[in-house]
Amino acid sequence: MGLTMLIPGIVLIIVFMLIPFFFSIWLSMHVEIVGSTVPVRSVGWMFYRHLFSDPIFRGIFLKSLENNGIFALVVVPVQTGLAMFLAILVNRHGAFVKFCRTTFFLPVVFPMVLTSLIWKAILAPGPQGMLNAFLHAVTFGHFAPQYWLGNIHLALPSIMLLSIWQGTGFQMVIFLAGLQGIPHTHYEAALIDGAKKWHLFRDVTLPGLRNTTIFVVMVTTIFSLRVFDQIYLLTQGGPINATSSVMYLAVSQAYVANNVGQGAAISVVLCFVILLMSLIQRQVLRERVD
Amino acid sequence: MTTDNPPVATRRRRRGVDRTPWGTYALLAVFMVIFLFPVYYLFVGSFESPSQTLDGLRAAIPSSLTLANYHSLSQTFFSSTITGSLRGFYTVSTLVSALVVAGGLIVNSLAGYALARMQFRGRRFLLLLVIVLVIIPFEAIAVPLYYMLNGLRNTLIVQALPFVGSAFSIYLFYTFFLNLPPQLEEAARIDGAGPWRTFVQIILPNAKPAFASVAILSFIQIWSSYLWPLMMTSQPNVYPLSIAIGNLIKQQSTPNYGEMFAFGVLLVVPMAVFFVVFQRWFIRSVASLGVKG
Amino acid sequence: MSEIVLRHVSKTYDNGYHAIHDVDLTVREGEFMVVVGPSGCGKSTLLRMVAGLESISDGEVLIGGHVVNDFTPGERDLAMVFQNYALYPHMTVEKNIAYSLKLRKFPKSEIDRRVREAAEILSLTEYLGQRPGRLSGGQRQRVAMGRAIVREPKAFLMDEPLSNLDAKLRVQMRSEILQIQRRVGVATLYVTHDQVEAMTMGDRVTVLRAGVLQQCDTAQVLYDRPVNVFVASFVGSPSMNLLHATLSDDATRLRVGTQTLDVAGAGPRPRLASYAGREVIVGIRPEDLTLEGPGEVLSGHVGHIEALGSELIVHFGMDARNYVVEDKGGSAEEAEELLEETALTEHVRNVARVGPRSAIATGESISFRVNMERAHFFDATTGESIW
Repeated sequence: MGLTMLIPGIVLIIVFMLIPFFFSIWLSMHVEIVGSTVPVRSVGWMFYRHLFSDPIFRGIFLKSLENNGIFALVVVPVQTGLAMFLAILVNRHGAFVKFCRTTFFLPVVFPMVLTSLIWKAILAPGPQGMLNAFLHAVTFGHFAPQYWLGNIHLALPSIMLLSIWQGTGFQMVIFLAGLQGIPHTHYEAALIDGAKKWHLFRDVTLPGLRNTTIFVVMVTTIFSLRVFDQIYLLTQGGPINATSSVMYLAVSQAYVANNVGQGAAISVVLCFVILLMSLIQRQVLRERVD
Repeated sequence: MTTDNPPVATRRRRRGVDRTPWGTYALLAVFMVIFLFPVYYLFVGSFESPSQTLDGLRAAIPSSLTLANYHSLSQTFFSSTITGSLRGFYTVSTLVSALVVAGGLIVNSLAGYALARMQFRGRRFLLLLVIVLVIIPFEAIAVPLYYMLNGLRNTLIVQALPFVGSAFSIYLFYTFFLNLPPQLEEAARIDGAGPWRTFVQIILPNAKPAFASVAILSFIQIWSSYLWPLMMTSQPNVYPLSIAIGNLIKQQSTPNYGEMFAFGVLLVVPMAVFFVVFQRWFIRSVASLGVKG
Repeated sequence: MSEIVLRHVSKTYDNGYHAIHDVDLTVREGEFMVVVGPSGCGKSTLLRMVAGLESISDGEVLIGGHVVNDFTPGERDLAMVFQNYALYPHMTVEKNIAYSLKLRKFPKSEIDRRVREAAEILSLTEYLGQRPGRLSGGQRQRVAMGRAIVREPKAFLMDEPLSNLDAKLRVQMRSEILQIQRRVGVATLYVTHDQVEAMTMGDRVTVLRAGVLQQCDTAQVLYDRPVNVFVASFVGSPSMNLLHATLSDDATRLRVGTQTLDVAGAGPRPRLASYAGREVIVGIRPEDLTLEGPGEVLSGHVGHIEALGSELIVHFGMDARNYVVEDKGGSAEEAEELLEETALTEHVRNVARVGPRSAIATGESISFRVNMERAHFFDATTGESIW
């Protein structure tokens, strides 16, 4: 009885999630070409060796890894902090506040394709670009127009900017729920103890948001490791790999270069990094509970 | 849900301790403009002529509006075989989303329910499996899936198939059903209802929030999905909206933003309508995610 | 004929935990049977086994003469009232009450008739169109009752149905439930941890401890003739004073600490003689200690006094060792209170009920008269009553 209910869902996730996960390990140890009759050849750890020792490929892989690292190091704290800040700001009643809440959440329903499109226009090069024109205006003509997505130093920050715009509302709502889960009595007790606004934030709000924060940080970190759409659409990893990400590399290897084994090897590495980070999160969460 | 609690600030205000927080409002206004501007730009730009859309700050306050972009879009995408048609893109996106959302609601709610309520051998193992699979993002298994399902390229079903069963949805349903009092089902059993009847007549009506959450979250995900249809489609007649617009972004060497914006509006309008109508549920479904942390 | 009969019923969980040991119990037709015991004693499990919500490891359950071990809950034709009522939140009161009849494919007119009738009995008629969420605790309780009676089932099962109500409503609902049960005349198995509820409601009361049936009889018999020290201490409030004591070699005198009581007045207790020279437990109910009149003298010092208006509850200490019943149960609140008391006044463990205008004060010494005829004696090792 219970099994009839269970089976469809479980079979689907086994076939389309678990098996691909193991299959990617197998793929990463074989040379195979999609849709061809060329026999599959076992190559052991070759694709993994490529990642770390092939003179050309190593550079791209490490650069992509570094980009993901920088992306995470910047986006995670900025987006988490901004989301928490906005959540605190909108945690009150009023029509205007409600409107703001909707505004901040709105980008969440924007597909990344669309977000990329809008920001491609905003970040357009030359004095006609919206951002360039705006910065030119507010600096009274002192700002020289930039080629945001084509500049080796500005491309990655630009990608980060639009990612933050798209993702903050999502985290804000989670923080908002966290804020409203803090009992009023905690604030009232602190007020009676003579706490000022800053104390309330430090001693009641922050500790109350601890688990929410860990969750948000974790989700954002994983999100940072899997960025693909905006890179594929806006920069194709360029200029000179300045925006290449691990996931972009995996897909361009498997899909564009028809090198499935190499793409799979990168996916496997990504999987294990993500699993490891999740384990760390669980550990951190548990520590405090005990 | 916690969203029903009155926010702290109001409680204090009611007692007359707080004045109107003008500082906060000013800050909110600044952020609101930053967050709203790209959306505004998209909508306004879609009604501007190509030269207007990319014209510095003037693009934000156009002197005239035109429907030309929408018109030219419908001209460009008329044939379903060569370029694909707007109607075709909509049909594909709608069918795929419907399949994922409806199919997902059924199989995942049943699996979540069985995990939460039924006693059987291997239950704990399956639960662990679900939790591990929640962590693995789709991107990480996209490459092997691409290889596995290559035979189904350029079909509608392949665009939906990997997303129907979802560890994440199963887990959401599982936690929801765990928190439902089991006496409800026991009362139904004593009243003479079997497991299926109990599920349909007693559990379903009381699990609306969970169903709404899962439906909304999976709709956002599938409607926005790009990587998977990118890998799995190469013929315009099976392109979903996201791929069609993505191709436009990538192909145009001298981008016609007005036209792309018009297309973007078409992509986001169904979602935006849903969002406006079900805003409470959207926010609630996202808010519920943090609780499990 | 709709009796509930339990024959050698046992429950063992997969992890080896024995929840119920070999319980024999008969609830006669129309009888109101209360099962009472401390939390975790297995009383709810027992009820759920009768309902079919828990499997039966061993033994048989008969309802109306049929063995129902393999019947589903729906096939057993029982009605159950849950502690949290388990009303279907999405259905109106009317639909809640009618649901089981609909499942049994009763004709619409019959369903209507029965629902109206039940609603009338329970004064719910004006709430039929409302959802349970908008009702008060007492009204929800009534809907749960309505759902039970509308079926005209073979038996009622009730799992602590009053514990979610406030004290005043609880007393009122006790008599309402009894009235309805009398009116319907169906065998009822009622589970509670509250011994006052058990004593006031049950035609007979079954005391359960750690899955073992201790005694099943009318409230008065349980009170006057408890079979063992557990039942003696569980039934009655404040509970019986229990003291370690030694019987003299000729079985005529009882040493309690440094004091001596004559047991001649204890009436005919043939088995007591066999305990000559041995240790026993003596039990004295608080109301059997008086300040004047005949009886043996027992002295102590007054700890604290609770003035209830109609009487005084005197907590007093003695130089005798108290017997402590493990797992006596009672609410967590009571247990906490008890702990606090013992911590404050180490030896003040005995209780007497005396007249409200008795001249006593905390710290003074006090002498009680003991009605030995109403004293209880228990085996010091097995805890069984000695008669």
